[in-house]
Amino acid sequence: MMRHLPLAVGAAFLVALPFVGSESLVQYGINALLLATLAQGWNIIGGFTGYPSFGNSVFYGLGTYGTAIAMAQYHLPFGVGLALGALLGAACAVVFGLPILRLRGPYFAIATLGLSAVMSAIVANLEIAGKNIGLILPLFRGDRLFYELSLGLLVLSTATVAWVSRSRFGAGLVAIRENEDAAQVMGIDTTRWKVMALTLSSIFSALAGGIHAYWITFIDPASAFDSTLNVKMVIMTVFGGPGTVMGPVIGAFVLSAISEVLASSVSTVAGAFYGLVIVLAVVFIPRGLVDVGPGFRRLGWRYFAENVRRHRL
Amino acid sequence: MLLLGQILVNGVLLGGLYGLMALGMGLVWGVLNIVNLAHGALIMLGGYCVYFLYTGAGVDPFAALPLAMAAMFCFGYALQTFLLSLIIRSAMLNTLLITFGLDVMLTFLAQLFFSADLRTINPPYAGDNFDVLGLTIPVAPLAAFVVALLLAGALSTVLERTRTGRAIRATAQNLTAARLHGVNPRRIYALTFGAGAALAGAAGGLYGMVSQITPYVGVTLTAKSFVIAILGGLDRPLGVIVGGVALGVAEAATALYLDPTYTNVISFGLLVVLLVTRPAQLFERA
Repeated sequence: MMRHLPLAVGAAFLVALPFVGSESLVQYGINALLLATLAQGWNIIGGFTGYPSFGNSVFYGLGTYGTAIAMAQYHLPFGVGLALGALLGAACAVVFGLPILRLRGPYFAIATLGLSAVMSAIVANLEIAGKNIGLILPLFRGDRLFYELSLGLLVLSTATVAWVSRSRFGAGLVAIRENEDAAQVMGIDTTRWKVMALTLSSIFSALAGGIHAYWITFIDPASAFDSTLNVKMVIMTVFGGPGTVMGPVIGAFVLSAISEVLASSVSTVAGAFYGLVIVLAVVFIPRGLVDVGPGFRRLGWRYFAENVRRHRL
Repeated sequence: MLLLGQILVNGVLLGGLYGLMALGMGLVWGVLNIVNLAHGALIMLGGYCVYFLYTGAGVDPFAALPLAMAAMFCFGYALQTFLLSLIIRSAMLNTLLITFGLDVMLTFLAQLFFSADLRTINPPYAGDNFDVLGLTIPVAPLAAFVVALLLAGALSTVLERTRTGRAIRATAQNLTAARLHGVNPRRIYALTFGAGAALAGAAGGLYGMVSQITPYVGVTLTAKSFVIAILGGLDRPLGVIVGGVALGVAEAATALYLDPTYTNVISFGLLVVLLVTRPAQLFERA
């Protein structure tokens, strides 16, 4: 029970934050929570299955547009829009996942990158999606609601990942990551499981996109299908600890906090410093932030030297 | 018909330069197994080297190319020796991440020291051109194309004919076996990364003559190099140039017949189709 006390305190603090914090803090919180959800979603396909997807920003964009089209063009309620967005994202994951998931490693990465370029161009030419100009959603001011909604989605995605990490399904995904041929020989239907992982991942990305769309109330193809958002998901997950339950959340919170603090100082130096943090993290904590605690307890300061020794030439 | 010919000429000339950009990335990828996301940033730095040598010291851009290449070689050699060798046996995601971090650092440092202004390397002969069979051949892109071909040929010769080249190929094929035959992988890796950076530097200088350099060009150039390196194959320098030409022509044709906004769709879409339909044949030797 005591083991879960910090978690409970942290959760209570997060729930209560919008009622005590300032407006800008809540807005920063919504961004951080949505980013953490996106990282957690990426964790399923990238962290557990080992497929470096750059298509999650596509699912995010489809969630954004699904919600926006439902609300702006058909005047449907927000919930329906979210569902439609998630459905679009999941459908895209299944249809494109089947051919693309046959590719491995960097080839898979570049194919998903291609998907992202193609999708944003298609949406930018659709009448119903407002072409290049984008769509305006009905205005709804309620940062607290969006905050709690984002928090709920993050909890849902983290619970899902916690379930995945203990299930047969998750074990199969890890087997695919470690040695796909061996996993296949062991009787895992690798194609089906990979598609399922990508689909699960896409649903969380799409839901986060939907919430963000209604919160921002204005979307356009460039920002909805921005692939730097996908890069952020990867960085936050790998920084926190890929293939773990809490890693992406911690990575997202810490990196959002760093970039928020730095953004208030000189921006150019801050950007370079952000890069430096990432470089140092890869060198000294290659298994992510979540590994630092246990590793440090085991080895003390030698933990960092040990990491370098293990991975250098 | 003449228009199509002109499009082909432009596409081929630009494509040669694209190929040169991808050459260094493919070399590093094939030998060190690092997908260098900072490759575009190295191209950008090479461009600034040539720009400042030309505007500051008055060195002709083409004469400045070897100097920029030497500087970038040293930079790449040091980068590999002191930083990347620390993580060379880490997981692929980690090598992606560290080169991304480098890309961010180099971009912002370039912005800090060189400002965000658009820079063009503009020697007096930049606008010159001549006619062949009614087609206009611009001089600077033609020269860039020739330099790209020469460098690809030189790299190919070094890899195929010299002892060091053989050691590089051996390391790429089987690190352990190469070590057993007395190859020092630390030196080979540093040399390879240095060569990759030097090629990026040359590409940057040429790019500055046919287009503009800003601190932010890196990302697009990295993506293009990535696509071409895959198209051309990682261990065939001249194949990479052919891949670059293919992309250049495809882009030019798309801009003419469809719409310039579709160039990325075509190049990436083509790549996805190629990857999905016949990966094995295409990458047998990669």
